[in-house]
Amino acid sequence: MIDRMNRKEKNPGEVSRRAVIQSAAFVPLAALLASAQPTPQAALSPAQMKTLVAFIDRLIPHDELGPGAVESGAQIYIDRVLAGPNANEKASFIQGLDALDALAQRVQGAPLAELSAEKRDQVLDAMIDTPFFNRARRLTLEGMFSDPYYGGNKNFAGWDLIRYPGPRPAVAAEDQALNVDVKPYRVSAYGIKYGH
Amino acid sequence: MATKLKPVDVAVIGLGAAGGVAVLPLARAGLKVAGIEAGTWMDPHRDFHADEVYNNVRRLVSSSPKAQRECPTVRATPSDQARSAGVHPMMNAIGGTSIHYWAQSWRLKPWDFRTRSESIRRYGPGSIPAGSTLEDWPLTYDDLEPYYDIIEQEVGVSGKAGNIQGRIDSSGNVFEGPRQREYPMPPLRGAGFTDHMMDAARQLGWKPFRPPAAINSQTYRGRASCVFHGYCSAGGCHVGAKNSTATTTIPDAVRTKNLTIFDKAQVTRIIDDSNGRVTGVNYIRDRKEYFQPAKIVLLAGYTYENSRLLLLSKSKAYPNGLSNNHGQVGRHYFGHWTSNVSALFPYDLNVWYGLPAQGATVDEWADDSFDHAGLGFIGGASLHVYTERHPIDAAAMNTYGRAPLFGSAWKKFVHENAGRVASTYLQTNTFPYETTFLDLDTEVRDPLGDPVCRITSGGVRQNEQRALQHAQSKMEEWFRAAGAIEITKPPAIGPGISTHAAGGTRMGDNLETNVVDRWGFSHEAPNLGVLGASVMGSSGARNPTLTLQALAWRTAEYLVKNWKSLAG
Repeated sequence: MIDRMNRKEKNPGEVSRRAVIQSAAFVPLAALLASAQPTPQAALSPAQMKTLVAFIDRLIPHDELGPGAVESGAQIYIDRVLAGPNANEKASFIQGLDALDALAQRVQGAPLAELSAEKRDQVLDAMIDTPFFNRARRLTLEGMFSDPYYGGNKNFAGWDLIRYPGPRPAVAAEDQALNVDVKPYRVSAYGIKYGH
Repeated sequence: MATKLKPVDVAVIGLGAAGGVAVLPLARAGLKVAGIEAGTWMDPHRDFHADEVYNNVRRLVSSSPKAQRECPTVRATPSDQARSAGVHPMMNAIGGTSIHYWAQSWRLKPWDFRTRSESIRRYGPGSIPAGSTLEDWPLTYDDLEPYYDIIEQEVGVSGKAGNIQGRIDSSGNVFEGPRQREYPMPPLRGAGFTDHMMDAARQLGWKPFRPPAAINSQTYRGRASCVFHGYCSAGGCHVGAKNSTATTTIPDAVRTKNLTIFDKAQVTRIIDDSNGRVTGVNYIRDRKEYFQPAKIVLLAGYTYENSRLLLLSKSKAYPNGLSNNHGQVGRHYFGHWTSNVSALFPYDLNVWYGLPAQGATVDEWADDSFDHAGLGFIGGASLHVYTERHPIDAAAMNTYGRAPLFGSAWKKFVHENAGRVASTYLQTNTFPYETTFLDLDTEVRDPLGDPVCRITSGGVRQNEQRALQHAQSKMEEWFRAAGAIEITKPPAIGPGISTHAAGGTRMGDNLETNVVDRWGFSHEAPNLGVLGASVMGSSGARNPTLTLQALAWRTAEYLVKNWKSLAG
């Protein structure tokens, strides 16, 4: 299972974006925004990426439980899938981001990325029943909790948050015991170069 | 014009769960077999990964591109507009859906073969669901038992017998029909959670057991045992512990040198002569058309494709589709009614690892295990709890009103609870109805221009709905006994499209109401056989694969024994 493939998904922007997420850990939102610029191959424009980052930063914020969605690179995952396997939802996703900024402008007087955390939370509450909230949240969860191979879950922050012990090559009976803490096994299913 | 190939004895259309087992007895008997498969070999190293995005989000194992372009449409009634069902895990690959299935390998109960007469005997004629076209099967459990046994041995099934020749063992399923011998491998080990659920069931006075699975619990015939890494569902097994036909009966058949596999070959029509006998199949490979002559054709596609290919194969002898002069192709279809009840516990279940076949099952509330007098339904559902939980799915958990959907409070909630949720699989005895059927869509076509299969679901069935609601309440009782603090029960709604799709070419003695006879051969085209769940007349409260494999082996063996009369 270890290090056996990297051929299924050729992504020209991969190297530079990985460098981007590696630079993004544990820093304030402004710096996150600066470092989250997509490569030219990506789906989202810099302005759209800014809105997305401001949004997912409140969905899963950095706090005492550890990194949030942005430090984990969930936006990298989202940008990448919208440019690739999920390209058919790219247009509707971008419409959703535009609508999100319009809502922020209407109820709080500024685009989402320019609002305080508290005001952004109020915008999220106001749109929580929309299909876009649901879909963007789902993609954020995919980014934060998928194998780091896909660009998110940096340093396994997502898996640490939910205490998922990781895809072991073989699992012993004691690793399946009730109510025990299993020692995390922190290696990507695609090999150590994708995270370990 | 199609290029005519060298004639063979038997052409098998589809090398999946059904065709993949039928080729073995044929090849062993010395018949020359052409296995014609739209997909090809999958490579465990390249194609199978311990990865939720790959298996479960993008469904890269279970959604073959060709099959997706042939995905059926669904409507509730003939007056509704049918819409594409989107995706379905029917496969184009050597091994078919057995590549990625859960590998739960159940025998049906003796009752499943005689549901109509047994229900009338016990509860009266009014117990048969209104509008149902249910018939007793043309064979009994005892008739099929030897073939269940063959498949358990040849494919490799792990499990614990509950009834060996009438000797009851409560560490197995005490409700099962008598078996001639024990499983070839012991059951998969339990996990802490499934053992805990077994204890809770016993406290309720129930008789739980570890369910059978075509997964190696130990090294079997040189193949590896399960590593329990938690990426079995919708994935292929990269260590080869999941016993698909691609790793078991198909390689065995290839070794006889009597099976030739034609891969990436899409069968477009079955051809017949003026006497109504089939003469072979047309297929397209690499944009060229071929005609493969054969003395016998065995149709072994997925349920939807079996009916579709027959309906597409029109001729002078069969103007409404092959073997459809009695209008029965596509009738008596049903998608298995299934449901989930999920539960939140106040402690860590640690069900991340494992596999859906590593479970605890209760059969008290399935089939006719209990007295149905006054309940208003027949049948019931098996209750199955299991392991294997993936991180994205876990993080997307229901918050049960205990936390918001985002922010630090949500993080705190999933930090504590993502590993505390259990899911179930409840499978309901499902029956055929007059107004549930398959035909050809009038608008949606595949890339070759042929109409796709259209499902008319017929809407809610009161019998199955009541049976499932009853089972959900029993599942809740079981979870509460085990300490669950929150329960969610989704509404009991019948399926449109289903991964347990059956019927459409039903097996039975009456040619007015069935497509194939008790041996699986067409009532109309005597040298055409049909394999797969499409011949089943009812579902049982369990996964269909072992049953359709036992039936497929039986049809193939019957063909070998009656070669001269069938091949003409």
